[in-house]
Amino acid sequence: MLLKVKNLNAGYGFLNVLWDVSLNIGKGEFVALIGPNGAGKSTVMKSISGLLPPKSGTITFDGQVINNQDCAVNCRSGLSYISEELNLFTGMTILENLEMGAQMLEDKNKARENLDFVFELFPRLEERISQYAGTLSGGERKMLAIARGLMSNPTMVLVDEPSLGLAPQVTDEVFNALRLLNRQGLTILLVEQNVTKTLKFSSRAYILEKGKVVLEGPSSELITNDHVRKIYLGT
Amino acid sequence: MNNSRSIKAVEWLKSSGGITVTCTILVALAVSIHKGPYVLVNTLVTGGMWALMAIGVSLLFGVMNISNFAHGEYFMIGSLTAYYIMHPLKEYLLETPNSFLAFITPVLGIAGATLAGVIAGILTDKLIFAQLRKRNREGWLLNCFLITIGLSIILINLHMLIFGNTFKGVVNYWDVPSLALGDVYVSVDRVVVFFIAMLAILFFWYLMMYTTLGKKIRAVAQDENGARMVGIPVNRVYSTTFALACGFAALAGGSLLFMFPSYPTVGIAPLYNSWFIIILVGFGNVAGAVPGGFMIALFQVVTRTYMGEGWENVIPMFLISAILIFKPYGIFETKVRSVWEQ
Ligand SMILES: Nc1ncnc2c1ncn2[C@@H]1O[C@H](COP(=O)(O)OP(=O)(O)O)[C@@H](O)[C@H]1O
Ligand SMILES: [Mg+2]
Repeated sequence: MLLKVKNLNAGYGFLNVLWDVSLNIGKGEFVALIGPNGAGKSTVMKSISGLLPPKSGTITFDGQVINNQDCAVNCRSGLSYISEELNLFTGMTILENLEMGAQMLEDKNKARENLDFVFELFPRLEERISQYAGTLSGGERKMLAIARGLMSNPTMVLVDEPSLGLAPQVTDEVFNALRLLNRQGLTILLVEQNVTKTLKFSSRAYILEKGKVVLEGPSSELITNDHVRKIYLGT
Repeated sequence: MNNSRSIKAVEWLKSSGGITVTCTILVALAVSIHKGPYVLVNTLVTGGMWALMAIGVSLLFGVMNISNFAHGEYFMIGSLTAYYIMHPLKEYLLETPNSFLAFITPVLGIAGATLAGVIAGILTDKLIFAQLRKRNREGWLLNCFLITIGLSIILINLHMLIFGNTFKGVVNYWDVPSLALGDVYVSVDRVVVFFIAMLAILFFWYLMMYTTLGKKIRAVAQDENGARMVGIPVNRVYSTTFALACGFAALAGGSLLFMFPSYPTVGIAPLYNSWFIIILVGFGNVAGAVPGGFMIALFQVVTRTYMGEGWENVIPMFLISAILIFKPYGIFETKVRSVWEQ
């Protein structure tokens, strides 16, 4: 297992949001985390990434317990987080944002290669290379955030709701990019509300409701599950 | 293309920033003609240093959301260090003249002052603000405000306790004849100090715009969590920011020792000046601090020349109140940008 989350409890202040959440993700998997608004999906992602220290439980990445490790250290050990809020450097250009994404790489040739790679993935970013991130459209910002998260050669990415607020064809573009990355060996944990599409793209999924994992299994099975069909697919 | 650029230039001239800058230049020229060019020289010498002070305060606020009311004390640390390096060397030189040592003494003093400021800045971050960051960030602005006020009082009193309540200054840096620019004589000290300020500003601008370190500082300022997400060691960037800001303040203190001898409260006027500048040009506007520094310096020199000693803090105070009422974002209309407001 590349990422192991065991009995994770997390929340904000005195408020507990997650109750004994456990996840296992193997190397090269494309796993989805699905659930209604406010279920705590983003809280799971923040806890794993290191932005939000968990209250209890253990998070293991690549054999190392990373519970109280800073987000920056996790990033340097190959766990990249692409947040819902994107956290772009709005006063910097696309190129500068991407440079910052690769700032931890010692090998500058590798950074150059990664830049070519993300421009191939999202040609639109290359066209706007010296535009400020704060002036980009919603879809372009998402692409930039994903591209920035890939610049550091991660072994695993945590992607939080990349389709939120995007036009359908842009969503497809983003999902196709994620699938392509997964085929090249990148492990992905994807949080989504777009359930139909997510279950088609991912290999396995967890369903989170009110801070608890209520269902898990291969995506192809979940898509035919009664609970899932009733609540999420509306059929 | 050319046309649109000239339209933009005209529009800028008509904006509050343009009007103020133009007026400043006109006033500077008029006063130098009326009272002699020394007004201009004094403005240039102090203005650059006030700009450096303001850049530091602006940087600390922009990157860390700390409004540093102890910034003047780093100026004081700089002037004190420069004094204790230069004074003994100058005493020694009186007995055993040595032209190389005489040349190098002010250089050592100013470099030593800067180094002391850098070290003091790093210590301040590591011992105080890093500890505060480890706890929660609730009430951060108010906490930092109180901490820096307390730090200022402690440092002023430490100076009094250890080094006494006396003026510790040097008369000049280099014992060489003044430079003649036409019929105007300007001491070498002043010229050098002006160039030190310009070089420091240039260094800062290059650092922020083109180096990885500068980009990291900007990244942390724009989005701290974003910076952590790309693996930037945020705590180290904070210490570096403190080192830069306090280093600049101490550089100003060391460089202006011949005009402002070191004493416990020597930092208060420079602190006021940096706040004047920041309110004038807008919070977080680092580039604006440079014209702002010269404007405030000119303003003070002019008030001192025409109204007398002591008025130079009263009149800017009125100006600041007026700006806060009519132009709360400063003359360049900068929006407040900080870590928490992105
Ligand atoms: N910064 C925060 N402070 C306090 N409560 C929060 C914060 N962020 C999220 N919450 C609460 O935690 C719960 C889960 O939020 P979140 O993880 O964002 O859900 P999801 O991503 O599944 O929509 C919600 O009830 C939300 O109100
Ligand atoms: Mg969410």
